[in-house]
Amino acid sequence: MNALLATTDVWALFELPVVQRSALALLIASIGLPIVGVLMIGLDVIPVRFAVMHTALLGVALGLVFGIDPVLCALVVSGLAVMALAPLAGRPGGLSGPMGLLMTLAIAAALLVLSISGVNATGAFELLWGSILATRRIDVILLLVITVAVLTLFFARRRKIGLLLFDRETAICAGVAVGTLTTLCLGLTAVAIASSIRLTGALLVDAVTLLPAVAARNLARSFTSMVAWAVAVGVVGNGLGFLLALWLDQPPGPVLVITVAVIALATYLPIIPGRRPDTKGIVH
Amino acid sequence: MPVRLRGLTCRRGATLAVDDVSLDVAAGERLAIIGPNGAGKSSLLRTILGLVPSKGLITVGGVEAVSRRGWNERREIVAWVPQRPAVGRFPLLVKELLASSGDMDASVAAAERLGVDHLENRPLHTLSGGQLQRVYLARGLGHVAAGAGLFLADEPTSALDFDTRDSVAALLTEVPVTSIVVTHDAAVADGADRVIEMAAGRIREVRR
Repeated sequence: MNALLATTDVWALFELPVVQRSALALLIASIGLPIVGVLMIGLDVIPVRFAVMHTALLGVALGLVFGIDPVLCALVVSGLAVMALAPLAGRPGGLSGPMGLLMTLAIAAALLVLSISGVNATGAFELLWGSILATRRIDVILLLVITVAVLTLFFARRRKIGLLLFDRETAICAGVAVGTLTTLCLGLTAVAIASSIRLTGALLVDAVTLLPAVAARNLARSFTSMVAWAVAVGVVGNGLGFLLALWLDQPPGPVLVITVAVIALATYLPIIPGRRPDTKGIVH
Repeated sequence: MPVRLRGLTCRRGATLAVDDVSLDVAAGERLAIIGPNGAGKSSLLRTILGLVPSKGLITVGGVEAVSRRGWNERREIVAWVPQRPAVGRFPLLVKELLASSGDMDASVAAAERLGVDHLENRPLHTLSGGQLQRVYLARGLGHVAAGAGLFLADEPTSALDFDTRDSVAALLTEVPVTSIVVTHDAAVADGADRVIEMAAGRIREVRR
């Protein structure tokens, strides 16, 4: 194991443009993407991140074959593919089954595209192993755009989204256009996840999306407070994780996940004030 | 707001839940639907809201919903109290649900009358079944105050204690618009202008 860095050395690292850019990207992501995690829990589409990973690979493969920016292709293909599932959200079985189907089809199509075109598959799979320290200027801009889009959606449709996430039928009967709103939420979720894959790698993307939302669910009493808690946990947890990674001189991805996961785990402790009981309701 | 059903049929899987039902409910009339479990009562109400697929003609206020927009407009003029109010998988405050009625003041006033106004800042998942049912009832009454011309309620007293049942039954007789209430509660049925019975997806009139 590498030696720990002195505190002064950690702060000195922040003078490096690459670290500054990474920290900025992480801060932006930690504000916008936990809200996406809240949507994932509310829409009951937690497996969506696996579907996005697979469809993103298909997008990268198509990008490599046709000479288009692979990341851009990944965003477009993921967004469109997941949005196409929205009409199935009202079915009794939910979206888990269709997402499994989408995942399998996407990875099969990606492998077939790469095989037929003769493109080296290593380039496509590199997407799965992103790193915050490899963040480019364009990634920061993309995250900023997505975060602004997520915040705009939240503030403009807060009440309607709250009802939709609470219960689809209640939202329908309250006149919410659930089809359109579900499509919008799913599309934004897919694009946000696909864009954040470059930060932490596909396998660790939960640090900025799902884990803060899981913690928030235990602490919040309403949709608005859940979003606020998710953003707070995202910013504090990822900020702390990033500093720890620099201090320990370890890869940021796993350190970020472990830090945010520990915070999320702590919210399950009964001593946490305001902790939301993990009951589905009391019926008597 | 009058309701007209003609040749209404609704399948739930392989079961024929509503079988070629034709029914007229006059504007301002209070109709109670009784019948055994599985008779198709809830399905009948849900077809009016477009919550389950159906065949046949359904008009509310003389208007048939034929498009997604039409159904959304239908739901704006129909207040709905479900049989099993959603507990939700997500935190939502009582006041947020009441606000979705379109008339917060009227919803709160109804909540006060139903004895659940003090729960305004409580998340719905922390309420008991009876409290939840009264909150949904208050929301439905708020929706009526906001302009809904039809009030649909599916067993609105099923989770309530005897005293509360009687006061809710009395409250239902004061709903100032057309109402169709599915019930097993004699007090609620007694307060209706007309009672019909459903069995095996079909209807027959019991009392006018």
